[in-house]
Amino acid sequence: MVDAGTPRRVHPGTMAVAFLRKAPQNVFAIPVFAGWMSGRGLDWALLIAGVAAAVALFFTWLNWRRFTYAVGPDELVVERGVFSLSRRSIPLERIQDVSIERKPLHRLFGLAEVRIETGGGDADEAVLDSVSLGEAARLRAALRGRHVAAHQAGDEATVTGPHVLPVVFAMTPGRVLLLGLFSFSLVWLAALFGIIQSLDQFVDLGWDQLRDYAGTAREQAQARFSVAAVLMVAGIAIALGVASGVVSTILRDWNFTLRAGEGRFRRTRGLLTRSEVVVAMRRVQLALVQRGPLRGWLGWNALSVQTLGGSNDPSGRQSLAPLAREDEVAQIVSMAGLPPFERLPLRSVDGGHVVRALLRTVPAPLIAIVAAAIFVTPLTLVGLVILPPLIVSALLQRRFHRFALLETSLQVMRGVIVQRDWIVPVDNVQVLTVRQGPLQRALGIASVAIDTAGAKGQGAPDVIDINLPDARELIAGLIAKLD
Amino acid sequence: MLLPDVPLQPLERGQLNAMRLNGAVFFAALAVGSAIPSYALGRSLDWLPVWAAPALLVLAGLWSVLIAAPRRWSRWGWAWTGRELHVAHGWLTRSHTIVPAIRVQHIDVTQGPVERMFGVATLVLHTAGTAHSEVHLPGVSRDTAETIRDAIREKLSSEPW
Repeated sequence: MVDAGTPRRVHPGTMAVAFLRKAPQNVFAIPVFAGWMSGRGLDWALLIAGVAAAVALFFTWLNWRRFTYAVGPDELVVERGVFSLSRRSIPLERIQDVSIERKPLHRLFGLAEVRIETGGGDADEAVLDSVSLGEAARLRAALRGRHVAAHQAGDEATVTGPHVLPVVFAMTPGRVLLLGLFSFSLVWLAALFGIIQSLDQFVDLGWDQLRDYAGTAREQAQARFSVAAVLMVAGIAIALGVASGVVSTILRDWNFTLRAGEGRFRRTRGLLTRSEVVVAMRRVQLALVQRGPLRGWLGWNALSVQTLGGSNDPSGRQSLAPLAREDEVAQIVSMAGLPPFERLPLRSVDGGHVVRALLRTVPAPLIAIVAAAIFVTPLTLVGLVILPPLIVSALLQRRFHRFALLETSLQVMRGVIVQRDWIVPVDNVQVLTVRQGPLQRALGIASVAIDTAGAKGQGAPDVIDINLPDARELIAGLIAKLD
Repeated sequence: MLLPDVPLQPLERGQLNAMRLNGAVFFAALAVGSAIPSYALGRSLDWLPVWAAPALLVLAGLWSVLIAAPRRWSRWGWAWTGRELHVAHGWLTRSHTIVPAIRVQHIDVTQGPVERMFGVATLVLHTAGTAHSEVHLPGVSRDTAETIRDAIREKLSSEPW
């Protein structure tokens, strides 16, 4: 075994994975190539294809050869680049997440992708794509400042590590299926249609013919005014939505296992792509409990934590339990060293919140519908049925938006259809902003924005529309605790 | 006043003049830039005088220099309490930002050419936050900016977050 400090390359199998991964792109080049080659001989085509493959292989090899990494006593050094060279050294004590991911191609070659996250701006400061399983386990141990015996066999078991931490949460197949049913989404359906459309440009799927059929079908349907046909189409759409939700959830969350101990959580999940993520507990910035529609009413919660820096989640948060009962969530939260979410001390925001919610949600659709009714057809007035749910949701906003400043944490609850609970340790609050727009000034209210590290996009634990004395008290309380 | 407990200090007068100059330059550039399309439009629509768009922009520039800039300037305020920096601004939507000194990652004092002309500087605090990871305090004198910077620097902890 080589000394820990010497630079090494990623596994040679990486070249095969990279080459195969690029293959689909090249398939699309075939029609172009064929068009250009028409009239020339087959041997020419083979020669050119061979040269192209050789060039691609050469560059893949060059990239592989120029990419080295080394774990020193207190830093990880990654060197890369063919023409412009880059050398990045990451102090070991700054590394906060080491995640291991295995896509289907990786599993085929017995490889794993290791991502090192430090909490800087970039999502991934260093990606080692790819190393053998044994090397991945060794790396993770070394990056945590501990060394395991280097002669680990490269089998499936080593991914979970030599000393297995106790399981604190696991999803049974039944629960994954249930989560899939809840994840009903038409987005996937739209994506599917998008793919069909884009494929249509390359391959003639007979889409126009299909459209003709659809046109005929519509005429027939209009002729008979068949309610059954409409219901059937809606039924198919819903069935596809449910199926796509189930499939995507099973692919992502199959065998979801959360282990905890030694100051870290370790999450493994995935059916085809097995991914493993380590979250250091002291890097947890805040906990977020979400209750989606339907599943929230049935008592199911989703727990995620915000960590510094990258996570594979687009939300910038790590899911620790996608579908869990309240007591399971409370157990994981206390394990993370966070105070429990308490409902009793929560205080409502100002009544002006309802006014603003109504003004934000109702006028725009109302005007659009009425305008359409006047200028297009009175039939669009049917659209007014969407207004009562909007109004009810706006009226309920205040009931579900509450906050409390406790001993060590700020707790915020917000959202009617998707309910969210935040637990923000006061020590993790970075910047406070009080903001007041013209309408808020007229109502005597203001919003308090709480900025934390590592959040991306929506979902900050902001307290919106509280009356000014409450805002001042909250700010003064937070400032007093910041030390 | 969103938080009346914190007495805020106004920006330097120089910043007001810097804002006026910025506004004047901006609208002057727009007015000059609009001359060609305005000429073309004036040729095709005979009721539209050629000087309409530039004149409108000059008026907007006057409004910006004489009314908008002083109004925005007077809404700015800052306070350094020894533990946190307060920065308040905004005329229509008011905001008051609080940066605890111990959360600051690093500090910049910047001075652009216009700012140098009027003897003001901008203090920029960087935190580990996301939405407000950079907090700017413009329009303080260079001495003030450096005093606050040095005061915050003493508070910076070695622990990064």
